[in-house]
Amino acid sequence: MTNLAYSLPARSPRGPAREHTPHIEIVSTRTQRRARPRTVYALVTVAGLFVILMVQLLLSIVLSNGAYQISALQVQQTELSRDAQTYTEQLDVLKSPQNLSARAEALGMVMSTAPAVYLRLSDGAVIGTPTAMQASQAAVIGADGALIPNALLPEQPAQGSDAATTVKAGAPAGTTATGSVASTPGVLPSPVTH
Amino acid sequence: MRKSASSRRRLFLALLLTFAIVGVFVVRLVDIQVVRADQLNKDSFNKRAIAITSYAARGNIVDTNGSVLAASVLRYDITVSPRTVAQALAKGVFTSRVSGKSVPLTVLEAAGHIAKVTGQDQNTVYQAMTTNPNSDFAYVAKGVDTAVLRSVRKLSITGIWDQKHPARTYPDGAVAGNLVGFVGTEGPQYGLEKIEDQCLESKDGSSTYERGADGVRIPGSTVTEKEAVNGGTLKLTIDRDLQWFVQQAIAEQGTILGAQSATAIVYRVKDAHIMALADWPSVDPNNVNATPIHNLGSLAFNAYYEPGSTMKALSASMLIDSGLATPATQATVPSLWKTPEGGTIRDATNHATERLTLTGVLQQSSNVGISMIGIRVPEQQRFDYMTKFGLGQKSAVDFQGESARGIPPVKNWDDQRKYDMLYGQGVAVTAVQLAGAYQAIANGGVRLPLTLVESCTKPDGTVSDLPSGAPVRVISEASAKTVVNMLESVVTGGELASALQIPGYRVAAKSGTAEVAGPNGAGYTRDRIVSLSGLAPAEDPQYGVLVTYTKPAIMKTSAAAAPTFQKIMTQVLKTYRVPPSTTPSTSPPTTW
Repeated sequence: MTNLAYSLPARSPRGPAREHTPHIEIVSTRTQRRARPRTVYALVTVAGLFVILMVQLLLSIVLSNGAYQISALQVQQTELSRDAQTYTEQLDVLKSPQNLSARAEALGMVMSTAPAVYLRLSDGAVIGTPTAMQASQAAVIGADGALIPNALLPEQPAQGSDAATTVKAGAPAGTTATGSVASTPGVLPSPVTH
Repeated sequence: MRKSASSRRRLFLALLLTFAIVGVFVVRLVDIQVVRADQLNKDSFNKRAIAITSYAARGNIVDTNGSVLAASVLRYDITVSPRTVAQALAKGVFTSRVSGKSVPLTVLEAAGHIAKVTGQDQNTVYQAMTTNPNSDFAYVAKGVDTAVLRSVRKLSITGIWDQKHPARTYPDGAVAGNLVGFVGTEGPQYGLEKIEDQCLESKDGSSTYERGADGVRIPGSTVTEKEAVNGGTLKLTIDRDLQWFVQQAIAEQGTILGAQSATAIVYRVKDAHIMALADWPSVDPNNVNATPIHNLGSLAFNAYYEPGSTMKALSASMLIDSGLATPATQATVPSLWKTPEGGTIRDATNHATERLTLTGVLQQSSNVGISMIGIRVPEQQRFDYMTKFGLGQKSAVDFQGESARGIPPVKNWDDQRKYDMLYGQGVAVTAVQLAGAYQAIANGGVRLPLTLVESCTKPDGTVSDLPSGAPVRVISEASAKTVVNMLESVVTGGELASALQIPGYRVAAKSGTAEVAGPNGAGYTRDRIVSLSGLAPAEDPQYGVLVTYTKPAIMKTSAAAAPTFQKIMTQVLKTYRVPPSTTPSTSPPTTW
């Protein structure tokens, strides 16, 4: 039936002619397709993990940075509380009655030994007799500040200068403390009574 | 066939090997995780963990206005590791930091630098640094303050360290020093520091934390094993400024008199609070070594003495309260009187026979007069009165060293002593006891427990008032008023009147010049204890003052104590704004 003189069509360079097999493909159903894991989920998960790791890293960086900050602040706090303690100590010593009275006397003030004088507001009456103190009447506080020693006081409260505010450094129970009462019986003249 | 056999053997060997290795791992794992887990954990923890002691502060002692009398401070000990010094020296790396650079130096130079800062001797420091080169610890200086610590740290000398050293400071020095007491190296030793230790005591805490390689604390690793508990604040009834004034006053006069010691007590009548209690010589708790040991305590609380004529106010109270005499009871008083039992009573001065009332007997302070009238009160009744006045008993304060000597039992009162006791000889009291008795007379006959400590406030805010005794009714209110009124005569017309009067105020007072018994009961010596006890304002007593001088070298009479009494009482009335009396002083007639 066919003419063999016909040249046969050249063979495809790809090789033997493919048999035209019917293309059969398994087509997933819609539900199957929907159930299939999607790449985007995987990506999200991996990215999430990455973020978590990063956050953790950052957190620990921040945390350790905080640790250094705390440490530095603690050192600062210690130093400041030392300062506070030093100043409180100085203030308490400066507030002591010995210091105040000695300084007042150094300023030329005298202690009044007279009773108080009152003014009654209801009728303006003056109760008591005002008495001016003379320098000679002054209660004499010892030259070293007082007869009541205070080893914490600087040895010579310098009048009007801040030198006296530098409380003597060193142990409070130091051996250099002065201020013991010099008992000199009978030195001052006294009345001879019966 | 052969091939499969060999491969099976290989497989078997591989499996065996795997199991063996896994086995070794399992054994090791169990060993580490289970068997030695505790030990390993501990070791590793010890490498990371640092134990720290958190110092709790001992409580402050404050006066009634909150002024600090005793406070806790941190001091520092400078320490050295002589071994580190020796090793560094051998390696040539013994250095100090000078302007940011480490500079090598010799130990002697280093000692010199430290000594200059701490104020020590260079040699002492050198000794500490070198004496025992095998030791890791030696003290260079103890208890230095912050300024010194900082200077030493700045030197940054190899092998020099420091440690905390909690200490106590007394900013007011000897003001109330005898009351506050002090803390020694072995804890509280004297005064309130000792007896109120329960309030003041602090408990150090301990905790651990872990640290990284660079020494920084790992956050969240702190484990507190024991919480540090600060001590409570002890509030006294003492007013610091008044206390200073009183101490200053008795010190001035005591020095002039050449007295051996002196005490003064200021108390508020209505609640028996002690506003000031001074002992001279006063101890400065900052420098305890400057005071002889017998003056470290409080003489006012602890020293028994025969009070002398201040006792006559108590004898008069017994007479009035028992109804056996009135202020106007009459007596014909010679200066020397033979008792019915044959004894002799003598007045301090020779005088013509006087016709005195009981009030006059107080005013003239006649031993003969009080003996003649006072003997009317039965002995047992007198004993009971004295007990109720609190004589011979510990005060409610129960201060350190207080003792209860009691009153001599009635059966020991011989024919002389039963008279002597009426004017304060042959019976011993403390200044605090006598002050308590006068407080009863001033307070309408009710003796309240003397109070020195107002409260104790713990750091958590709980306030505890300290327990004290119950009030004791000693004499009736009317009797008490009468006796105060009689005592006014001492100030209006007695021998010491001019030294005792305070313009504007009615004052009631009684003097005392007591003979001091010699040692071993060898009679009385020429020494005296002079005292003055009084109240103001007399119409409604608010404050009481008692002053005593022991063994004055000159002026051995109560005239020595009167000016101090007047000075202190004036200051007290001023300090507490007591309004002047509106009525003039009156007192029952003194003669007939």
